[in-house]
Amino acid sequence: RAMELPPSHFPAARAAAAALGYLRYLRGGPGRGLLPRELRRARRQDIDGVGHKYCLELELEDVLDKGRTVSCTAEVLYHLGSTSCAPDVQVTVQGELRSTEEADEEFYNQIRSLEQELVAENIPDSHGNVPPELEPILLLAWVASGYVIWQNSTENTKFHLAQVKHVKQVKRSDEDLQFDYVLLLHEMVSQEVLPWQVTLLWHPQHGARVSQ
Amino acid sequence: MRLPVLLAALVAVATCTEIFAGHQVLRVLPQSDEELQKVQELQDLEHLQLDFWLDPRGLGLPVDIRVPFPSLQAVKAHLEAAGVSYSIMIEDVQALLDEEQREMLRSSRQLPLNTDTFNYEAYHTIDEIYSFMDMLVAENPNLVSKLEIGRSTENRPLYVLKFSTGGTNRPAIWIDTGIHSREWVTQASGVWFAKKIVQDHANNEGVASILETMDILLEIVTNPDGFAFTQTSNRLWRKTRSKNAGSICVGVDPNRNWDAGFGEAGASANPCTETYHGPYANSEPEVKSIVDFVKGHGNIKAFVSIHSYSQLLLYPYGYTYTPVPDQQELHEVSAKAVAALSSLYGTKYKYGSIITTI
Repeated sequence: RAMELPPSHFPAARAAAAALGYLRYLRGGPGRGLLPRELRRARRQDIDGVGHKYCLELELEDVLDKGRTVSCTAEVLYHLGSTSCAPDVQVTVQGELRSTEEADEEFYNQIRSLEQELVAENIPDSHGNVPPELEPILLLAWVASGYVIWQNSTENTKFHLAQVKHVKQVKRSDEDLQFDYVLLLHEMVSQEVLPWQVTLLWHPQHGARVSQ
Repeated sequence: MRLPVLLAALVAVATCTEIFAGHQVLRVLPQSDEELQKVQELQDLEHLQLDFWLDPRGLGLPVDIRVPFPSLQAVKAHLEAAGVSYSIMIEDVQALLDEEQREMLRSSRQLPLNTDTFNYEAYHTIDEIYSFMDMLVAENPNLVSKLEIGRSTENRPLYVLKFSTGGTNRPAIWIDTGIHSREWVTQASGVWFAKKIVQDHANNEGVASILETMDILLEIVTNPDGFAFTQTSNRLWRKTRSKNAGSICVGVDPNRNWDAGFGEAGASANPCTETYHGPYANSEPEVKSIVDFVKGHGNIKAFVSIHSYSQLLLYPYGYTYTPVPDQQELHEVSAKAVAALSSLYGTKYKYGSIITTI
């Protein structure tokens, strides 16, 4: 039993936010940040004994490649009765995302060669400004917040990253970069702003992972 | 500081170049002749490009040295090897210069002479906005007047700008911005709206035709206590600043305090939450003032409240799925408004009733 949902209504919008979180975690990086452009189509399927599955057609744009949009389809399955369990998300991106190999290597080498561990706070600042040299740090925060948003989304929530309250690089003996973030997430339904601590590991070839 | 360096600093500030990034100023207090000698040795090492703000003068007198970033390690190693203690007086000279430049810009902004030199591209303080309002009225006495409709919990005046080309109690359009204080772009938009209305009228375009038969009422800082709080204490404060009996939590969500579906869906009874509706409808002076004004006016035809973020154009209801009587017309008007908005720069808004869209 699948029903078509108006894309401007909140159920589809909330599912899209969860899908975007997941996608940012999977495909984001210091040189790539994905923004939602439009929700083209949404359907919902109630699966007895399992939960509610949303099928979405989205248009996204890469913050650093704003001229074009990328289409993608996403499936978000919220499990029945469980608010402590992350929704299952699958995303398929149609076409290629702009390559970030060079930018990733440059960023990686830059951070590795810092004598003092990077520390920053309030990104963006109260006026919405982001110093250009901290852009990659913010984009990595999108990756970290993407994970948190995906993991904590329900049909009754819609999260956005409001601000990076604090970030501290932690030098590691292995090849990964480590950033300890304190993120402020804004939840649209309750309007609460919630601080969240996340440790993000990143490597140009291995990608990102949130360490628990 | 030596003169050439001072000049260089001024040039750097003027041209916004960052030649002092990562430089530190170290303070050394030589306690013995040996220590003093070690510090004096540094003066001879020209390649370090040290800049003595306070030269070595004698025992127990501070020596202040600006050390460029590439020389920091060497200097600290030199001092530490000799057991000379030092402290870091300035962690990053460039940061200090940047802050100073910001201050200079701020103070030059404090006194825009008129609404043409006012900076619409920057966020402003309450005082700056209130002074903008007074300037706008002074410049356009036949079009704009300022009304005080009440006082906030912390006794700040609540001002409404009235744009009118005459008549008596003409039908009016109400616009408010900043009811949620952290939504800074809305107060800034309100300031810009005010200027735009005046400009349109002067150029006989845009809203000029509306002003022929209707008044526009604009409350820019609808929640001044909250706004002040976002500037002094918490950038993300949303509510008013009223005290809640029996709770340490402060503030009521003014946009849940209206007497329409009070306490129903979308509002919280918990004073510690962002959507706390308050002890009763219109408990907040910021809200009651508007209600009294609107009822007293009796001829308000449209009521528009501006929020951020989301790019949504919404019409009632927020607390029930029952459609408003004019739902069809509101939906059509919204569609036209959104299309018109998009025609300028491609900005996309979604639209619908509050309850279905948020």
